[in-house]
Amino acid sequence: MRCHRCHAPANVEIRRSRIAFCARCYPDWFRAQVQERIDHDRMFRRDQRVLVAVSGGKDSLALWHTLMRLGYRADGLYVRLGIGEYSRRSQAKAEGFANRHGLLLHQVDLEADHGFVVPDLVEARSGKPCAACGTVKRYHFNKVAAELGYDVVATGHNLDDEAATLFGNLVHWNGEYLARQLPVLESTHPGFVRKVKPLYRLSERETAAYALVERIDYILEECPMAKGAKSLAYKDMLNCLEEQQPGAKYRFLVGFLKQGRSVLPAAAPEAADVRRCSRCGQPTTAELCAYCRMADRGRRKHETKDRKYGRTPVGP
Amino acid sequence: MRVVILPEREVREVPAGTVADLLRRLGLHLDAHLVVRGEDILTSDVRLAEEDEVEVYPVISGGA
Repeated sequence: MRCHRCHAPANVEIRRSRIAFCARCYPDWFRAQVQERIDHDRMFRRDQRVLVAVSGGKDSLALWHTLMRLGYRADGLYVRLGIGEYSRRSQAKAEGFANRHGLLLHQVDLEADHGFVVPDLVEARSGKPCAACGTVKRYHFNKVAAELGYDVVATGHNLDDEAATLFGNLVHWNGEYLARQLPVLESTHPGFVRKVKPLYRLSERETAAYALVERIDYILEECPMAKGAKSLAYKDMLNCLEEQQPGAKYRFLVGFLKQGRSVLPAAAPEAADVRRCSRCGQPTTAELCAYCRMADRGRRKHETKDRKYGRTPVGP
Repeated sequence: MRVVILPEREVREVPAGTVADLLRRLGLHLDAHLVVRGEDILTSDVRLAEEDEVEVYPVISGGA
């Protein structure tokens, strides 16, 4: 295979478009794709401040790198989730990237600042690990962005993530979630910051290739708590289809966004009774927001374990 | 030829063929892995030699 642009031997093929690029031309193509999405979907402007949700994995670091190279004002936020060695290693990757490129990385430490870690939530039966972890991350990305005056939160969700989510929502006919599956989630309350997904049309393989070509040092290991997650099974099924029909994932997601959404009932408007959480001030429809209720359960479990194992409490 | 599968660095010996053949023999999806020789990512049509050593990077991450 030859590079679509310079005809040198190719390194990265884009099977859905039947083109390939060499390692020199590939990053420019990748960044152009991201720029095109930012502009076309009006995600953010150059004068706006972007907060990138950073996990230490390939997607978030590739996104941060791309925004930096495209000249955007993008800072990072890493949430220390307390998932043992995995969290320590991913934190080191996020910090290493920020230091190497002279970028600002904000951090939230769940255990030190909030008195619990993600494994406590699982033990306290606060839902499935990835769902509980997602609630924690979304809460802190929004809270930090709102408090520090960022215009938008950007996440590294890629084509495979979005196609797997769509597949799962269809399998379970989650009409409400389907109606909200968009690359741009507008703010519906002054306390909610806009959320955007600039990589949503680039596959996981393309994002990983960008990280390798740009020598981004990311965490390769899978989160130990994600083992058995349904989203991984959906990704596997979609990749079986992709093997036979290159471009199937792209057509599935983009077709849904362009045509499928039009047959869905409109997303329910934000409840009229959105107010501030009585404890943390974040928007909620209840007296206490979902995060504060979940954090209470996590803290109780954490304190129980501190007593059981004779640990010195680290929390606030 | 020698194949190192990341992240555990599991080592496998497989007959040489194309990159696509290699992934098929290992039972791995083309769209879920990158095959790297030295510092170069390889396209699926590249023919590998018995003396080659390649690394296979998984690209799927999940949860959420």
